Amino acid sequence: MKTRSATVTRLLPRPLQITVVVLLLVVVLGPVSYVFFASVNSDLSVAAGDFLPHRLDFGNYARIWSTVDLSTGLMNSLIVAGTVAVVCALVSVGTGYVLVRFAFTGRVSILRALLALQSIPGTLILLPVFVLFASVANVLSVQIIGTRWALFITYLTFALPFSTWVMVTYLRGLPAELDEAARIDGASSFRILRSIVLPLSWPGLVVSAIFAFLLGWNDVLFASVLTNPQTRTAAVALTVFGVTQEGGAIPPYGQLMAAALVCAAPVVVLYLAFQRYLVGGLTTGGVK
Amino acid sequence: MTTGAGGNTPVPVSRRPETAAAEPVGAAQGKRSTAGDAVAGGLTTPAAVPEAQPARKSKRGRGVTRRQRPLWMLAPGGTLMTIVIVVPLAVALYISLLDLDQYTFREWTSAPFKGFANYLEAVRSADLVHSIVISVSYALLVTVITLPIGVAAALATQNAFAGRGLVRSVFLVPYVLPAFVTGTVWHIILQPGGVGNLLLGHLGVPNGLWLNGPRSFWALVIVQTWASWPLIYLLTLAGLQSIDVTMHEAAALDGAGWWAKLRYVILPHLGGPISLGLLISFLHNVNNFTLPYVLFGVPSPHDVEVLPVLTYVESFQNFRFGLAAAMAVWSLALIAIPLAVYLRVVRLDVGSDESQRRARR
Amino acid sequence: MDAKRRLMCMAGTILLAASLAACHSGSGTPSAGASTKLDGTGKTLDVFMGANTIYPTQQKQWFNDVAAKFKAETGANVTFETFASANDELTKIQTSVLSGQGPDIYLLGTTFTPTAYATGAFLQLSADDWKKVGGRDRFLPATLGISGPDNDHQVGIPFASRPFVMAYNKDLLAAAGIDKPATTWDGLRDQAKKLTANGVYGLAIGYADGFDPWKFVWAMDVQAGNPVVDGKKARIDDPTSLTAYKTYLGWLANDKVVDPAAVGWKNAQAIAAFGAGKAAFLPMVSGSSKVTLDKSAVAGKYAYALMPTIPPGATSLPKGGVAAASILSGDNIVVAKYSKNKDLALALINMVTTADSQDAYYKTFGDLPTNADEAKKLQSDPALAAIVDSAGKSKGTPFNGAWSQVQLALLNVVVQSIPDLSAGKVDEGKLKNLLSQAQSTAQSALDKTQ
Repeated sequence: MKTRSATVTRLLPRPLQITVVVLLLVVVLGPVSYVFFASVNSDLSVAAGDFLPHRLDFGNYARIWSTVDLSTGLMNSLIVAGTVAVVCALVSVGTGYVLVRFAFTGRVSILRALLALQSIPGTLILLPVFVLFASVANVLSVQIIGTRWALFITYLTFALPFSTWVMVTYLRGLPAELDEAARIDGASSFRILRSIVLPLSWPGLVVSAIFAFLLGWNDVLFASVLTNPQTRTAAVALTVFGVTQEGGAIPPYGQLMAAALVCAAPVVVLYLAFQRYLVGGLTTGGVK
Repeated sequence: MTTGAGGNTPVPVSRRPETAAAEPVGAAQGKRSTAGDAVAGGLTTPAAVPEAQPARKSKRGRGVTRRQRPLWMLAPGGTLMTIVIVVPLAVALYISLLDLDQYTFREWTSAPFKGFANYLEAVRSADLVHSIVISVSYALLVTVITLPIGVAAALATQNAFAGRGLVRSVFLVPYVLPAFVTGTVWHIILQPGGVGNLLLGHLGVPNGLWLNGPRSFWALVIVQTWASWPLIYLLTLAGLQSIDVTMHEAAALDGAGWWAKLRYVILPHLGGPISLGLLISFLHNVNNFTLPYVLFGVPSPHDVEVLPVLTYVESFQNFRFGLAAAMAVWSLALIAIPLAVYLRVVRLDVGSDESQRRARR
Repeated sequence: MDAKRRLMCMAGTILLAASLAACHSGSGTPSAGASTKLDGTGKTLDVFMGANTIYPTQQKQWFNDVAAKFKAETGANVTFETFASANDELTKIQTSVLSGQGPDIYLLGTTFTPTAYATGAFLQLSADDWKKVGGRDRFLPATLGISGPDNDHQVGIPFASRPFVMAYNKDLLAAAGIDKPATTWDGLRDQAKKLTANGVYGLAIGYADGFDPWKFVWAMDVQAGNPVVDGKKARIDDPTSLTAYKTYLGWLANDKVVDPAAVGWKNAQAIAAFGAGKAAFLPMVSGSSKVTLDKSAVAGKYAYALMPTIPPGATSLPKGGVAAASILSGDNIVVAKYSKNKDLALALINMVTTADSQDAYYKTFGDLPTNADEAKKLQSDPALAAIVDSAGKSKGTPFNGAWSQVQLALLNVVVQSIPDLSAGKVDEGKLKNLLSQAQSTAQSALDKTQ
């Protein structure tokens, strides 16, 4: 039975599947392996463009922690990006649910507006956002800039339009009959959302959360102005390695590459843990 | 009912073209509910639903009574977005009407009002038009190229195989690496004497200058494609999860080969996520500042003078905030038009929402 | 069920909020308080300076030492914030000035001082203020060249000096029978030609660098008598500029003394080439290259010399020319006008510019002191001879609020010439076009200055 189901749900023939996977792995791992080799190479050798190191030097992985405050940066990044991811996924499933299942005036306009917000470049609103937070500090005596709240609010807001849309497209793929049945039984919308829609939405939630997490994890522009040394994120700490000192000290390439891998690792590990939810939400457990 | 969506292959797609994404799902739902499944939570089986529907249709009409609509769920997101995006946007629009530069920005509220002079200056400078053309064409190219790659990757990692989790995670890495690391790495790879040219030499492609000159555009496209295909991949992967086994079974019963199944069952169902992915990918690439900045530096070579770098330089290096804001607004306006057209054509904004479908029934 | 659920949601949110606020830290806005005779108890000074990736742990140590010393002297705390690149610093300045809160003291690169001055957001030092930082006489006169447009309107207090020099490979020069590098650009080119053989090139130049190219052009212009910015007039399309660009680009295209791959090189790649022994001369580096080169294959085999001071096409300094060996390069300290602790800030600056402090700083980081007494001591150090000499022969770039745009325009000419350069040619017609474009860009930026 299991093999039959596997054959039936097969999307690509085996040889083609293998070819695609291998090709993509090569394409992805090529430059990534270069990052790794550069991280164990000397800076001069990397600057000269050598691919393979002449001598392996793993010391960079130790040096990165003292050159910048990378551990604080990683902790801040994890806290900020993590909370943004969770909150964003939850808010967006609620918003998406309303926008997909119910009709009301302005629904389509809101959907369009969400997409329009996606097209606004960060550099345009960087200074106004800063001024906004500074004004709040002056008027309400609540210091936002320099705290993790500033980043949390900013990233959550920036991630919401896209996450909402991810949930919208995902929820459209879910049958409405399920919630209709529950509604006949008198369940409130919130209950339907919680008991029926949410469990089935794991794939959408995971993808939504990933994007929100990555936004918070990799953003440099806003983090560099909204934080102070204690709340600095890893992304900003990482930029220090890329510094080209005018006049002759080459950037510490080895440390840059090592730190890049160290900073990418948590995201990949988290994804590794959560990607099992990206397996047939409807085919396993939901409706059967 | 047994042949459903997979069977008469052209029919589901052509019958209601505007809800192409919905139809196969709807048919599948019909099948599933007659199988008499119980919904989690101990509520009534949906087997009763199709029968009950026509009777209640007039009463429920658009789905739920107005009172029951949980519109309050829109409030948190809506408030945040208004305060943190719309208000600063309004401020930025106001700035674009000012003569704000390093001499006036200390007292920015009293900077001289210039009206639309910044907009005129932006348009007259050949740079803006040129950079919009470059930005849009590069974004379109990258979006179009990443589409088959992302979809293929999702299709290939959907079915289980040993190490699939690991492969899926590795696929994410280009997207996870910070843009400036990607830029730095590729900058070294693409050096005239670097690894890139070395490899290309083995493949018979003539070596050349990738970081400047006419090829720099293609270098940007290649690097951006490498870094951003996981976006489409993730969205497609999520979309694939909502395809029910019964659809596969129907296709198998019909004797549809993998390509026919892909073309008529799977891909139509993925219409929503893919359309969204294309749009978001396009917008991200048009506004992508870090990668071109790190890869090519400032001032940009003529062939990769993308808009975000131009506005960044004007704003943060030349201190000409008013002009930079005007440039950004121009680009927003110009992008909004094809955006609106795209939304119309793809029906992404109305899609297959239940209320629409019911009303048509 | 619903109410309980809602309660849990709220509890969760509160927990979230708590974790976010956990390590909340103020942004360094100093608390108000009456300051009498420089009693800084309870006050905090915030200093913004560049992150030092060559000596990161030493920099942290220096931060701690300075803070401890200042606290002992005045009772005030000092916090240090670092930035990664000049662009980050510019953005920080913009956000701080716009909102009126941020670091009290900034360490600026000298080339950015004119832009900072133009914003009007930094303290102009009165005679009294100069006394508070230890007196103008304490500093090397040359280093004051980019503190302000004139002596009455200065914002920058010189802190460190990093003049540009040229590194050369002693072994390669000796093998070719050259005893020391030339003092004219033409002479250097000829020497480079002699040294280009067997996979070794005469010059290592980073044509694709984001900072260096304009400095060559500026130097050659100034030496020929063209200050590039003359009052409010840009002089980029002068014949001296054309000569400068032709010379600079010609090293690769015509003289063939530069590795053809250099069209894609940043400064780092040029240093790597020199460090691998593949180039004889490495112009436009500062003392900070010492750390890198000492780790390379040419450690012990290289030395520093002044860059040529005679413009191309001449054998002696023409009339009106200035023998500029380098741009005036280093760090200035500026105090923000919005700072609530100006006197404390000036006291801190006083502390770090004493001969002893500058000596400690130099010994740790290698940047030359701006303190005159300390600089005199170093003049006798032979290893530093060229660098100290260059510091004395440095000339400031024009002190103009539009300089960064002029600089970008100069750089842009090189960037847009690279495609042709990679094909091995310098198209004079195209070059003239690019120069006139640069001229109009620079001129319109200058027209906006006040």
